[in-house]
Amino acid sequence: MNYRPYMLLAELTHSCPLHCPYCSNPVEYPRGRELSTEEWHRVFDEASQLGVLHVGFSGGEPLRRADLPALVAAAHAAGLYTNLITSAVGLQPQRAAQLREAGLDSIQISFQSDHETLADQIAGTSAHALKLQTAKLVRELGFPLTVNVVLHRGNIDRLDQIISLAEDLEAERLELANAQYYGWAFQNRAALLPTRSQIARASEVVAARKKQLLGQLDILFVTPDYYSERPKPCMNGWATRFLTVNPVGDVLPCPTASAIKDMRFDNVRTRPLAWIWCQSESFNRFRGTEWMPAPCCECPLREVDFGGCRCQAALITGDANATDPACALSPHRRTLTSFVEAMQEDDAAIRPFTAELGRLSFRQNSN
Amino acid sequence: MMPLHPLSRPALARGVRLRNDPITGEPVLLFPEGVLPLDTATHDIITRCTGEATIETIVLSLAREYDADPGTLRLDVCECLAQLRQRMLVAISK
Repeated sequence: MNYRPYMLLAELTHSCPLHCPYCSNPVEYPRGRELSTEEWHRVFDEASQLGVLHVGFSGGEPLRRADLPALVAAAHAAGLYTNLITSAVGLQPQRAAQLREAGLDSIQISFQSDHETLADQIAGTSAHALKLQTAKLVRELGFPLTVNVVLHRGNIDRLDQIISLAEDLEAERLELANAQYYGWAFQNRAALLPTRSQIARASEVVAARKKQLLGQLDILFVTPDYYSERPKPCMNGWATRFLTVNPVGDVLPCPTASAIKDMRFDNVRTRPLAWIWCQSESFNRFRGTEWMPAPCCECPLREVDFGGCRCQAALITGDANATDPACALSPHRRTLTSFVEAMQEDDAAIRPFTAELGRLSFRQNSN
Repeated sequence: MMPLHPLSRPALARGVRLRNDPITGEPVLLFPEGVLPLDTATHDIITRCTGEATIETIVLSLAREYDADPGTLRLDVCECLAQLRQRMLVAISK
C-alpha cells in the first residue's frame, strides 16, 4: 500500500457563529493556543513537500481568523488548490475580493435548510438570509460554489426544496451529508436520526433530481451507515490519503479521530509533518490489515471497507480495534439495530424540529 | 441533460485546474472537492478542451495522433466527456 496524503483539512479555529446540534467538532475542545500565521505557513510548505495537492480551510468558522487571506496566499504559493469551507458568516464583499486576490480557488457554503425559520432554528442563530446573499456574491466573483447541507430528521423531508435551493443558487455541487453520529451529533442522535421511511423517500428524490440536473448540479448523497448492512470505507482506509491539522496543531488521520480516547496525537509544533505521516503511532495504528480482529481479519471485504470507521467502533463498542458496529457481521450490530428500531415512527408522529429544541444540545464555543 | 453535440465546445469547468503531480509527474485534475489522477487517454482529451475546439475537432485531432478510426474514437471521447461533465469537471457550451 502506498500511503500518500493528497488532501489536507486545515481546521483554523473551533470558534463558530453557528451552534448546529450535529457539529462534527469535538465536544471537548483541544486545549492550547491556535497556530500562528507563520506556523500554518510552515504546515502548508511541509504538506506540499509531502505530496498534498489540495487544502480545505475549515473550522469552526475559518473566516474568524483575521489572517485568512494571508493563509490562503501561503497555501496558494505552495502550489495547493484552496477551498474555503464556511458558514458564510463574515464573508463580506471586501473580504471575498481579498480572498480571490489571494488565490482562493473555490467556496463551499453550509445551509441548514431551504426554509429560513427552520434553518435559523437548526443553526441556533439568524444566518440563513445572509447565506443567500453571500452565495450570490460568491457567484458574482466567479468562484465555483458547493452547497453543503447536513441532513437529519428535522430537514430531510424538505430535500426536494433543498435541491431547488442549490439549483437556484447556481451551485456546481450539492453535498447532502447525512449527519454522522460522532461528537455533538452522537449526543443528539435520538432527535436527529431520520426514520427508515424518510431515508427511502430521500433516496427517491435524489435519484430523480440527479437525473434531471445531470451536467448542471453534481449531487452527492450517501445513505447513513446506521441503515446499511456494511460499514462505510471510512477515509478510504486509515491514514492513506487525508490528514487533518486542528486549530492547536495536532495532526489527525481523520477529523473526528479525537473520539478515540486512548489515542495521542503528535503536533506540528514539535514534529515535522512528514515524520507524523510516516512514523507516528496514531497514523500507523490502523494502516493495513494486521490490526484487524475477527470478523474483519478473515473477511473478503477487508480491503474494500477497511473494517469501517474506527471512531464509530470506539464510540459504540468502547474498543477502537473492533469491527465497525454498522457492519452486519459485527457482534455489536444489535446495539445499533435496537437504537435504530426504537427511532422508527409513523410519518404522522415525526415531531417538527421546533418540538425537538428542548432535548437538543446546541454546540457552544468554549475556552 | 442536453446531449453532447459534435459542434459544442468543451472547456475545463469553473474552478477546475489541470496540473502535474510533482511526486509522480503524472497529470491530475484539482477541483473543489478533490483530486483526480488522469490516465493518458483522458489527459489527451482534456488538454484539447480549450473552449475553442469543437468535440468533432478534438476527435479528428486524436484520430490523427493515434492513427485511429474517428468513428470509434468519437464514442470514447463522448463517453469520457459525459462522465467529466457529470462530475462538473468539464463545461460544454455551443
